[in-house]
Amino acid sequence: MFEAYILPVLIVVGVGLAAGVMLMLAAKFMAVEVDERVEKVRACLPGANCGGCGYAGCDDYAAHIVSGEAPLTACPPGGTAVAQAIGAVLGQEVGEMVPMVAVVNCSATKDQAVHPMDYIGRKGCLAASLLYNGDMACQFGCLGYGDCVDACKYDAIHVVDGLARVDKDLCTGCGACSVVCPHNVISINPHAAHVVVACSNTDKGAQTRKKCSTGCIGCKKCEKQCEYDAIKVINNLAVIDFDKCTSCGKCVDVCPQHVIENCFKGAVAGPAEDEAVAAEA
Amino acid sequence: MKSKDILFNGILKENPTLVLILGTCPTLAVTTQASNGLGMGLATMAVLICSNIAISLLRNIIPDKVRIPCYIVFISGFVIIVGLVMEAFVPSLYDALGLYLDLIVVNCIILGRAEMFASKNTVFHSMLDGIGMGIGFTLALLMMGSIREILGSGTWFGLTIIPSSISPIAIMMLAPGGFFVYGCLIALVNTIIRKRGGTPVDKSNGCMGCASFDACRAAGTASEKGGCC
Amino acid sequence: MNNTVFFLALLMETILVSNVVLAQFLGICPFLGVSRKLDSAIGMGVAVIFVLLLATAVTWPIYTYLLYPKFAYLQTLVFILVIAALVQLVEIFLARFVPALYKSLGIYLPLITTNCAVLGVTINCIDFEYNFVTSLVYAFGIGVGFLLAMVLFAGVRSRIDESGIPQSFRGMPITLIAASIVSMAFMGFSGIATGIFGISI
Repeated sequence: MFEAYILPVLIVVGVGLAAGVMLMLAAKFMAVEVDERVEKVRACLPGANCGGCGYAGCDDYAAHIVSGEAPLTACPPGGTAVAQAIGAVLGQEVGEMVPMVAVVNCSATKDQAVHPMDYIGRKGCLAASLLYNGDMACQFGCLGYGDCVDACKYDAIHVVDGLARVDKDLCTGCGACSVVCPHNVISINPHAAHVVVACSNTDKGAQTRKKCSTGCIGCKKCEKQCEYDAIKVINNLAVIDFDKCTSCGKCVDVCPQHVIENCFKGAVAGPAEDEAVAAEA
Repeated sequence: MKSKDILFNGILKENPTLVLILGTCPTLAVTTQASNGLGMGLATMAVLICSNIAISLLRNIIPDKVRIPCYIVFISGFVIIVGLVMEAFVPSLYDALGLYLDLIVVNCIILGRAEMFASKNTVFHSMLDGIGMGIGFTLALLMMGSIREILGSGTWFGLTIIPSSISPIAIMMLAPGGFFVYGCLIALVNTIIRKRGGTPVDKSNGCMGCASFDACRAAGTASEKGGCC
Repeated sequence: MNNTVFFLALLMETILVSNVVLAQFLGICPFLGVSRKLDSAIGMGVAVIFVLLLATAVTWPIYTYLLYPKFAYLQTLVFILVIAALVQLVEIFLARFVPALYKSLGIYLPLITTNCAVLGVTINCIDFEYNFVTSLVYAFGIGVGFLLAMVLFAGVRSRIDESGIPQSFRGMPITLIAASIVSMAFMGFSGIATGIFGISI
């Protein structure tokens, strides 16, 4: 009687009880203290998990802020407002943040860059770049297969006519596009900088001409023109020092290849360009 | 919801195997013969009905925090009973199903129905749901088993269908054949659903189609990319 | 019999020949659900190896010294209870003492409880009448086999995602048919353990 009916019940109850008590003790003595501030900081963040801060998503960044390992101002999409909100939670003072924006350092559309081959493989910049560094003669330019478009969480970058273009109003400067670009053609610049060099080619001038009708040839006209010593040709490529640049736009006018762009003008001309695209479609 | 709807829901519209893609392990493993498929289906159905009734009866008593362990204990109790009954009365089927009979415990259909239906509905409705889902599962297994047995060994329930002069496709009885027939059946069901104007459940798109989605989400482990069983 | 050779043969048998997913149909749900991305496939695979070893190490003594022979029928009930509690305990333990490991494996742990591979392996160890050490080797082999299948299949799936599939076959059906082909490839290993080591398992 006891062995057949009661003992099995006792065994099951015993095992269940032992497991339950063990778990209860474990939960009590090994509980992890969750810092309330992490939740609060996390609530301040935009929650797009874009990775612009350099951590694995907003949760991770919040945890690192609270533990003091991450700066408060590392969230590009949130900008100053979020940094100050976090500062309020943690009781810290936060200064102004410089808003950033992604810039595509290439201005060659599909027709302007020379394509020595037809690439018919998987449509993607990384895939294309694995084959002889891309289907363009230029090894530095925008391939136009849109890996950056997929990476963008804010719908701020689009490929038009074989060239990635950034919508400055939507771009938060998180840098996700810059990370995935196999040619490293996207840089993160201060939002206030209006003049940018839309080329990344460091080949010598003569070679650049053969590969692209709109590449920087390193002629140094911009360098001579600049009154503020802000633009320098380094390694056959014009580079702007944003600390010195006043966005006067004189270099834009003298560039024979039209690779220096005034983004401010571009922004004004933006809607007209959109209409042109819409008309084409 | 009407009783009739609950009953037929599981057979056609939400067929656990072919539409919700649950309980894949037994579906693939035991369907080498139509009779095994039928036996497995009926065994699972018996457990499903019993566990649905029991859990529905106790739905207001079981504390929310420990409900999953409670369900598992109930289910495994019923599985043991069904196993003992089968061992006594149909020993050949018991041997054929072997390990997979014990594994009814971890069949997602049963835990999923307990979590999604029985814990929220009346005893009678839960019983109907168990019967409907059980029939749906049994029919799907029977279909899989029939296709595999006829193609793989030329017989159906042991009766010779295809003359022995035509050599059967033996691989249908083996593991690859299981995956293949299951894939084709789901594709067929998807086509039918689409023809009738519905959208098939795509379980491969993360956790959305899973029965345990609510439970996982409550535990904070479900994600859009899929992160679980 | 030489133990080392036997263990090597057993490992080869469990990893390649009777692969847990592709030949025994255990753990199909996570195999289909988590194999979308390589890193989650690896995470799940490692977590399963870990839990398999632990579960076998705990359930084998319980069965042998507590349940056998009179209460062998309680096997399923007791095993699933023990496994569930064990997984929960491991989760708490890892969160407290090894947070780095918890971060990478933590999300998979609670879901392994209802993974049929774990219950299946612990029951198999009893059914095959393995001793304690052999059981552990068997569990480890099964776990590695699961990891291998997951990793291989993650690669296959990334190719499927790039292909043009007929509409009805998109999603689960083509995944299953791909699994069928991978499974057929694994059939090529049959007899390899016996052939190399001269032992039939």
